[in-house]
This record gives sequence, C-alpha cells and structure tokens, in this order.
Amino acid sequence: MKKVLAIVLALVMVLGLAACGTPANNNTPANNTADDKPLAGTYKIKVWAAENNQELTKKQIEAFNQSNDMGIVIEATVEAVSEADAGTNMITDIEAGPDIYWFAQDQFARLVNAGALDKLGEGASKTVSEANDPGVVAAGSINGQLYAYPATSDNGYFMYYDKSVIPETDIDSLEKLIADCEAAKKYFAFEAQTSAWYIASWFFGTGCHSEWEMDNDGKYTGVKDDFNSANGLIAAKGLYKLVSSPFHLSSSKGAEFESGAAIVVTGTWDYEVVQKILGDNMGVADLPSFEVDGKQYHLGSYNGCKLVGVKPQTDAKRGAALHQLAQYLTDYDRQMERFNELAWGPANLKAQSDDKVKANPGLAALLQQNAYSVPQGQIHGSWWDIAKVIGDDVKESGGTDEGLKAALQKYQDKIDALFSMSDEEKNAWTVIGDINGDGWSIDLPMEEVSAGVWKTTQKYDLKAGNQFKCRQGKSWDVSIGNGGDNYVVEKDGSFTIVLTLNGDSGTITLE
Amino acid sequence: MSKKNDYDPSEIKRAMGMTAKNRVSNTVIYVVLVIMSIVWLIPFFCIVFQSFRCESTWMAGYVFPTKWGLDNYINLAKTDFWKWYTNTFIIAVVVAVFQTIIVLCMSYTLSRFRFKMRKGLMKFMLVLGLFPGMLTMIILYRVLKDLNMTQANAVPGLILVYIASSGMGYYVSKGFFDTVPKTLDEAARIDGATRAQVLWKIILPMAKPIVIYTVLTAFMGPWGDFVFARYISMNTSAGMNVAVGLQSWLSLDQINNRYTMFCAGGVIVAIPVTILFLCLQKYYVEGVTGGAVKG
Repeated sequence: MKKVLAIVLALVMVLGLAACGTPANNNTPANNTADDKPLAGTYKIKVWAAENNQELTKKQIEAFNQSNDMGIVIEATVEAVSEADAGTNMITDIEAGPDIYWFAQDQFARLVNAGALDKLGEGASKTVSEANDPGVVAAGSINGQLYAYPATSDNGYFMYYDKSVIPETDIDSLEKLIADCEAAKKYFAFEAQTSAWYIASWFFGTGCHSEWEMDNDGKYTGVKDDFNSANGLIAAKGLYKLVSSPFHLSSSKGAEFESGAAIVVTGTWDYEVVQKILGDNMGVADLPSFEVDGKQYHLGSYNGCKLVGVKPQTDAKRGAALHQLAQYLTDYDRQMERFNELAWGPANLKAQSDDKVKANPGLAALLQQNAYSVPQGQIHGSWWDIAKVIGDDVKESGGTDEGLKAALQKYQDKIDALFSMSDEEKNAWTVIGDINGDGWSIDLPMEEVSAGVWKTTQKYDLKAGNQFKCRQGKSWDVSIGNGGDNYVVEKDGSFTIVLTLNGDSGTITLE
Repeated sequence: MSKKNDYDPSEIKRAMGMTAKNRVSNTVIYVVLVIMSIVWLIPFFCIVFQSFRCESTWMAGYVFPTKWGLDNYINLAKTDFWKWYTNTFIIAVVVAVFQTIIVLCMSYTLSRFRFKMRKGLMKFMLVLGLFPGMLTMIILYRVLKDLNMTQANAVPGLILVYIASSGMGYYVSKGFFDTVPKTLDEAARIDGATRAQVLWKIILPMAKPIVIYTVLTAFMGPWGDFVFARYISMNTSAGMNVAVGLQSWLSLDQINNRYTMFCAGGVIVAIPVTILFLCLQKYYVEGVTGGAVKG
C-alpha cells in the first residue's frame, strides 16, 4: 500500500512540475539588435501539419533556416496530423505535443484553456493583425489578444453542382434547385441533418446569431443565441423545404456526384474530387436563397480558418525563435506558396487580392458566399451536438408552425441548460468589485461559515477607496453593498470580507 | 427419427412426413444461413473490391471498380504503411510468445499446485479483471512516458502493456488443465519427473488445442488494438501500429486521396490473421470448448 501511495505521490509531483513548466512567455522578438544575435542557436522541434502540407512545411522550414538573419537553425520533425484533430491530440498530452502545430479554429478555445498556445508578443501581434483578414485574426484572439498565427481562410462551404442537370439560371433559388433535383431524380446533398456546421447556414441566412462569450482564460460564460425566435422560425421553414424533399441527402462528400447527386454543399477540400468526377460539367456557386412568405433569404454560412500555434516554452529564447518561425510560416509569401501548391485559400489580405487567388473558382465561390457568412468565432464544444439535431427535429415536425417552434424550443432548452447553475450555486454569495486587481468581472468565492454568515475563502489586499458588492448566484438580482450602494473600503489592509445576512438585507464587515 | 420400423406402414408414413418436414426446415435454415453469410461477407468483399479500384481514390458509391489494378497496393510502399505493419507484427509476435508462456505457466500453477491464498489470488484476479482496462489508460500513459516508451518508442511500450497483465487470462487454459487427470502427473512424478518436466512433457503435448488457442488470442489482441496504440504513439508515425496508421488516413484532408489505399491496407492486415485461422481452426474450436469444463 505504501508503495502505491509513493507512486501516486511521485506522479502528483511530476504532474505538478509539468503544470509549472509552462509560464506564459511574452517574447517580443521585435527589438533584436542586429549586432549580437540573441536568438542564434540550433533548435530541435516537433511540428504537426496535415499530411498534404507535410512536405511543403519541411521545405518552408528549410527555407527559413537559409533566409533568416538571426542565426536560428531549426531541426524539425514534421508529423502528419490533420488540423481537425490537432486540438484533441494536443490536449491529451501537451508536454509530448508539438512545438508548432496547425489547427482548425474550432479548437482554439480548448487549446487556450489548456494552456497549449503561447501568446504573440506585441510587435508580432501588430504585424500579423494588420496583414491578415480581420475575421481570421478574430478567430485567433481572445478579447483582443492574439494567440495564434492566421494561416488560411478557406474553411467555409459553398455549392457544387452538375451543369448537365442544373440550369445555371436556377442556382440562386433553393426552391428551383429542389424542383430540378426532384425532376431529374438526383440528390441534393446538404449535410442538414447531421452537422451543426451546415445547419447554422439556414439560421444565419435569416439574421439569427449564436455568439459565445468567453472570459480571458478561455472559459465560456454565456451565449447570445436567438435561433429560437421569429427569424429562427423562418429559417426552420426554409430548412423544412429541403429536408422534407425525398431527394435531400444529408451528406457533404464531393464523391456523392458519383452516386447520384446533382448538388453537393461542401468546401474547397473536395474541389479536386468534384472536378475529376464532373469535369467540364462542374459548376460552383454561392449558396442559394429560399423564399418564405414572399421574402427571399440568402443562405448564410460559417467561414473558418486554419491557424498556426506555438506551444508555450520554458526557455524564453527558444520560445522567441519558435515565434519567428511561426510568423515566417504564415507570412504572405508562404501563404501564396501554399495557395500555389495546395490551393489553400490565404488569410493574408494582400494574397487574397492576388489575381491568381481570385481566379480560383472554388475560392471565388467561397468569397462570394463570404458576403453572407459569419466568421466562426469561439463556439462551445457542446453546441455542435445540440444544434445538429435541429435538422432531424425539423424534418419530424411535419412543417407545422407548432412543430417547428417545438423543435427550436428544444434546442433553446439544451443551450440554456449549459449555463444553468445548481441550487447551491444559485444560493451562494460572491464578492465582486474593483478589488484583487480586477474590474468588476470576477466573482470571488465565499463560504457560509454559520447560518446567514458568509466569509471569503481567503484574505484579500484591499486599498482605501476600493469598491465592491456581494451578490448571490453570480447575478445582480440580489446584491448587497453598503445597503444598495457599493461598499467602499476605508483603509488599506488585508481583510476577509464578511457578509452577515439579516432577512433580505445584510451588512458587510472587514476582518 | 431415433426409431425406424420398415414393417409398420404407419411408421413409414411418419418417417416420410418427417423427411418432408426436414426438407422444409432445412431449406429455411439454409436460406437464413445464406442471407446471414451474405450480410457478413458484404463488407469484406466491398473492401477487397475497393482496394483494386484504380479509377479514383475517394469513397465511391458503388462496389465494382471500372478499372481494376494493383496501384493501391503498390502505392502503399510509398507511405509509412510497411513501417506500421512491421511494428504491429513485432508487437504481436513478441506478445504472442511471452503471453503464451506466462498464461500456460500460470494456469498450470493454479491447476496443479496447492498453496496458501491460491483461492484468494484467483478471486482477486477475477475481481481485478472486472475493471475495464481503459481505466488504467491515463496512468499507464504517464508511466510509459516517464520510461520514454511513448511516441517513436511506442513498440516496446505497447509490448509491455500487453504482456503485463497477461497472467490474468488463465481461466480457459486452467479449465482445460483441470480436465487432465492428476494421476498422470503423479505417475510422472513417481518416475522422477520434476514439476517443470510434467508441464512440458506430459501436460502440454495433450493440451495442444489450448496452447494454440492461447497463441491465437495473444496474437490477435495487439494485432487489432487501436485505443492503447493510438494513445501511446501520440501521432508519431514511427510508433504507430497499423490500425492507428490506417485510421489517420481517414481524416478529412487525406480521405479523398487515400481511401482506396486504406482498403488495400485493410486487406493486407487481414491476410496473416486469415491464414493463421485457416491453419489452426481445427484446434481453435477444440481449445475454446475444451477449456469450458467446470474448473
């Protein structure tokens, strides 16, 4: 038993050390003086890039070694890990994870939360934000602080169609497209029953929002979501038109053209496949509009991106060198290189306006669709599962207003449940104010030491003039300060804040 | 059907009635069996056909290729596939050897020796075996990582993981050993054989089916393992086994180029196991049922 205990304790210690091993480095490599090269050295690093990007990344790192004048030599092992999986894999064991890695933006929040992304320094932040698409920059930032380097802006979807089945005049109208497909007995593939990413398209099309709020640590604190609204009902009616068609196929695979599809809604990653299958009959376009009560609504979409992240390093110099490399891998020339070799849509503004980029039909359709798209910000991980059933629910509703409303209400209830608190949390008191280096955003915990008496769990350094209030359930419905006003601290010192409740009112004292 | 009497006409009639009945029930049984085997074989044949498809590389909605060829098999050589295959093979063979030895020794000990806490130990292992192995995954990962047996060095790490708990899989073979009469042991002992000699020279030659069954299961476990192998290799290609490696081809960015190769890989993975089973099938069934006698 002792042995087991010893092992457990040893592991706890190791884990503890691992947790300490990642201080946030704010390396600003901007002020290198040229005469001495502070970052010079050889660095052995590990990089994760998608399989098709693996060779190119190796080549680009080699080019960085040749071209940088800071004396940085990178010896990189590049492993093939898809951007879509990088986040999950990284979080499994950050320590064993790569130093630089590509990831799709939907994993951003989790990575920040897990401490797997090193912040960009001020200089780099400025350069990167100015050079890249603001939507992508926002996807890599939390409250204005950049945590990753924008690399592509092509994770969106648009419509591929078979020109031999769909007349070009019909591509703007969902109703006509459905009719064409039904007439030709061909499928309309739109992943509207199994993927929240695609389902959101309908709601964004009618002006609905789903925006998640996050604190500085990457934790979700709330959501502004109005899918369950009058506009949401219109979207659900439009969605019903498609999912109730016998020729609707809930899929987003380009290869569906081989199995009887005439339309597939998917992204640039399927371009090659569709082109090979359809050849000259391939058509690409932005998503169509649907009509409800005589009004047209253009389908919206998510537009997402890929980012390059740097893992926090214990060695500041190494961290700075890695940031140099990450910035290099995502600059204009490298993004253009990736566009030329892999047809990845650049995030760089200058590259986006390049004639060659504009001439790529897939990216052109995506760009057209971008006018109706919503940048994919930070989204709660559970949302994907909650929202993906809307399609099925809408289909089963039978298309009646009541049925559709019930489907949306079901969605809303699940979203609300994400942030609902237990009774204990609702009853608990906390302290909030401009104390402890905070500006009325963090609730400091209190505990009930005896009936009606709440104390903070630790002492806080308070300064004369600091103001705060105690509130219940982390909401302003019930709060106590100096009566209804804020409590103002009278003298400096380290105090435990004590709240003595007396019916509906209470008094605050400092101990 | 047990009694037939050719002289009693009513008996003959009944017998004929039974043949007709038999014919009907046999037909029904065969139809059901044929349908079941079709259902079971379809996925396998689909994979085989897809692996010979040369006209495209993505998931297609049809089964029979329009252009047949070996491109997918040849292209496997350009990837890390054979590295993964070798890894898996090494792991499976080493585990099969060690696990068999450990399991057989364990079963022999528990079947023939009487020592303090024997029952207690068996009960303890039974209870321990009830916990899902996945529970230990995280702690095992940490331990292996500290031993530097993860990522590129995943092969020895995985071997260790698979072998470590193999002693607990003694039930079937202990059950079989229990059916071998103890008097044989005693006779051998009287003739001067040591305990080890009894095991190697007396028991094992009689326990061939169970040995083969143990080898097969020991080989199959690591051959098809995914979860542990994936965690311990942590996306490092050099440490992957074939299941993890092939799975990595199914990501969104690779599937369009790799799907048919994935099928080809799957077929190659199935080959050694199929051969092994075909050759050892006879013993396998005996082994499974042989151990199922009250222990």
